[in-house]
Amino acid sequence: MSLFRTLMVLSCMTLALIAAAYSIGDGDGRADFTYVNSAGIGTLDPASITWKQDIRVASNIWEGLTILDPRTGAPIAGAAELPEISADGLTYTFSIRLDARWSNGDAVTAGDFVRGWRRAIEPGSAGDYAFFLTDHVVGARAYYEWRTAAVADLSSSQTGSDAWRARFSRHAALLDERFAGVGFRAVASRTFEVRLVAPCSYFLDLCAFVALLPIHESIEDLRIDCEGSGITAEGLVVYDPQWTKPDYDESGYPGLITNGPYLLDAWAFQRRLRMRVNPYFRRSDSLSCRTIDMAVYGDLNAAILAYEAGDVDFLPEMDVSYGHELAGLAMSGARPDFYNPAVFATYFYLFNCADATVEGRRNPFVDARVRKAFVLALDRRLIAERVVGRGERPSGNVVPLGCIAGYDSPRGLEYDPDEARRLLADAGYPGGEGLGEIDLLYNTGFIHERVCTAMAEMWKRELGVAVVLRGKEAKTFSEDRKQRRFMIARAGWYGDYGDPTTFLDLFATGNGNNDSGHSDAKYDDLLREAAQETNIATRLSLLAAAESRIIRETLPALPLYQATQMLAINPRVSGLYPNARLVFPFRYVTTKP
Amino acid sequence: MIRTIVRRLLVGFATLFCVYAFTFLMVIVIPGNPFASADRNMPPEVVRALEARYDMDDNGAYFVQFLAGATHLDFGPSFQYKDWTCSQIIAQSLPVSLTLGLLAMLIAVLVGVPVGVYSAVWRDGWFDLSALGFVLIGISLPTFVTGTMLLTVFAVHLKTVPIGGWGTVMHLPLPALALSLPFMAYIARLTRVGMLDALGSDFVRTAVAKGLPKRVVIFKHVFKVAFLPVLSYLGPAAAQAMTGSFVVEKVFSVPGIGQHFVDSALNLDRGLIMSTVLVYAAIVIVFNIAVDTLYSFVDPRIQGSAR
Repeated sequence: MSLFRTLMVLSCMTLALIAAAYSIGDGDGRADFTYVNSAGIGTLDPASITWKQDIRVASNIWEGLTILDPRTGAPIAGAAELPEISADGLTYTFSIRLDARWSNGDAVTAGDFVRGWRRAIEPGSAGDYAFFLTDHVVGARAYYEWRTAAVADLSSSQTGSDAWRARFSRHAALLDERFAGVGFRAVASRTFEVRLVAPCSYFLDLCAFVALLPIHESIEDLRIDCEGSGITAEGLVVYDPQWTKPDYDESGYPGLITNGPYLLDAWAFQRRLRMRVNPYFRRSDSLSCRTIDMAVYGDLNAAILAYEAGDVDFLPEMDVSYGHELAGLAMSGARPDFYNPAVFATYFYLFNCADATVEGRRNPFVDARVRKAFVLALDRRLIAERVVGRGERPSGNVVPLGCIAGYDSPRGLEYDPDEARRLLADAGYPGGEGLGEIDLLYNTGFIHERVCTAMAEMWKRELGVAVVLRGKEAKTFSEDRKQRRFMIARAGWYGDYGDPTTFLDLFATGNGNNDSGHSDAKYDDLLREAAQETNIATRLSLLAAAESRIIRETLPALPLYQATQMLAINPRVSGLYPNARLVFPFRYVTTKP
Repeated sequence: MIRTIVRRLLVGFATLFCVYAFTFLMVIVIPGNPFASADRNMPPEVVRALEARYDMDDNGAYFVQFLAGATHLDFGPSFQYKDWTCSQIIAQSLPVSLTLGLLAMLIAVLVGVPVGVYSAVWRDGWFDLSALGFVLIGISLPTFVTGTMLLTVFAVHLKTVPIGGWGTVMHLPLPALALSLPFMAYIARLTRVGMLDALGSDFVRTAVAKGLPKRVVIFKHVFKVAFLPVLSYLGPAAAQAMTGSFVVEKVFSVPGIGQHFVDSALNLDRGLIMSTVLVYAAIVIVFNIAVDTLYSFVDPRIQGSAR
């Protein structure tokens, strides 16, 4: 019996261990409002945030100069009053609210905005949205390029060598002088001034974006510094990346300080993130939700079950394999708590317009007629309604329809297989002869596979061409697309700000995201002209002409539909408005018990 | 005894080093750049400078630097989750997996062993046959099926436990049960086979012939021999259960370490790939040593052969 006894003793010890380990669990009850994040948080550093779910947290714990109205998506006053704009539209002067406070009680100053904006353009801390400033603010591009060149220079020489030392001290000495040439500055402690290169009708929209949030001075203690210069030996601006933690206390750091309606209370990796009302936020007593939980459900099916069980109040995404059935419930009104808004995003495919050969094979899509034939041969209505079927609006446009006030979208190409065959014959491929196998690159998962199969089938039927599907995992897919190792590739774009250029720039010569390699002098001219145009209506009509050019003539892309986003809001919650920009500020949320 | 353990530990460190070297090799041959962002661009100059900063431009230096950090459990930053270090990620997710795995193994042993014993003793009876059916289900049904079924029954229909997540005691039973099923089935099978083998051996016949009660024969003589294969299986099994299961963690939204084995590779998160592999290898090694030590307690003859 002794072996059994040993087993029992071991079991008891195991149970005790489990109990001990379990004391790590978080046990402070349910928050006033709980929402789901299926992917966890990538980063909460505003300068490098790119994920929607990170933006959702950051824009609730910080507040920019402006914020987006949850109903209209239009910019409204945030931490500052709406600015005075000079007559030429080039100078914006913001007065920061008297009652704007950090979560430790400090006043929010113009200097905090300078710090935040500067991080957005310093190599090392700058992220993907540095172009918001470098494209629009006086001197920002010159500074960014000067800094980037210096980084290349410094990191190429051996740190500590005499050559490096000379270069480093020369560069470090010039830093502040060169930065003074950048067109944003603190005029007074509460006055922040921005000078633009050209009038920008959507600049206030940009000001609401996370990359342009203010940053509290306490993070300066966590800056990694070489010889008191504020930059690393490679010339980068780097902070101890832990600064976004609420409980980080290295070298006297007080933990993350923010200026939004909420502050970060607790953050357990990939498990839960809790926000709590910032007591110093203006009229914070009037905020209905005192605590907010972001719950991480790695599997959206589980998240939907949790929503149905009432464990969570808000599901901002429901991209599951039975999404079309959920969309059907939302559209038929059977589930009034399900929403399916059309969002500011386009689902499209790219043609490789630049390379005559792709992986050793001839690429017929360098000929615009072939591209046009492939677009005309596709019945996008069938794809949107039958293959995807979640209420997406089929669209031949790159810029989502009806999302930008005053923008008159041009008409895209309609389904016309006869014209498609004629064009293909015209290009030297009658009945698809001589085209060879067409390579179609996509990332596996979601609905892409089904869409690609349907497109291949249609092209085979209408044009007689053989399309080979090449599904890849996300990282290698984006690498292949970036290196233009494709003939046709899956794409999609979510607009960053309320202007057509957020989509149209993707097809401009030399744009870093122009994966199609499209280059058209006339198109570039139209975009340039629009950028210099001060009259808003004329500018938008120039942009419409530009869009018309790429969706009717040069066709670097094959737009299929304007995307929709399924979401679910528990009826006990009010103050969340399903909108095209998917802006959900929790400060307006109220919940019934 | 002590000498054996010390020697095994030394061999363990050598193994760990080989695992590290091999993983490192795999990691540097993976194409792609962890600093590259999927949608937008960072100037190549800055990417190169960041690589230099993290010693990623020089594989030799990176190899040494990571190893030096690893000796005091500092695995450097995660490239995917920029606000966290690999050590923090492991420190937050490993206890979750350890807890779940321990509980799962406990269930597996406490159910599997008696089931195996009774099936062997009442061989071909109704209990044995139904146990066989259960074992077949446990081994052949993938966890995402059993897990989802458990969720549907207990969380959705009966509402006895929450749908998923982590934080209260009620979050434990379902994922632990789902995780334990295949182990439980295998243990029951191993026990049954071991028992049947032993039941047919001469010393058992002698014991029965001596007139010892059946209970004493089975538990004192037969079970002791039959348990040995189970014990040797327990080492790797416990290591496997306690380092997390990607599937169970996904289905039950458990923030364990299992997901990082898969996600870190997909995200090309070098530091996290290597640190999770090292942690896994270390646990496997420790459990194997522990089981071998236990073995020699249960069966003193083993000690000689271990040498």
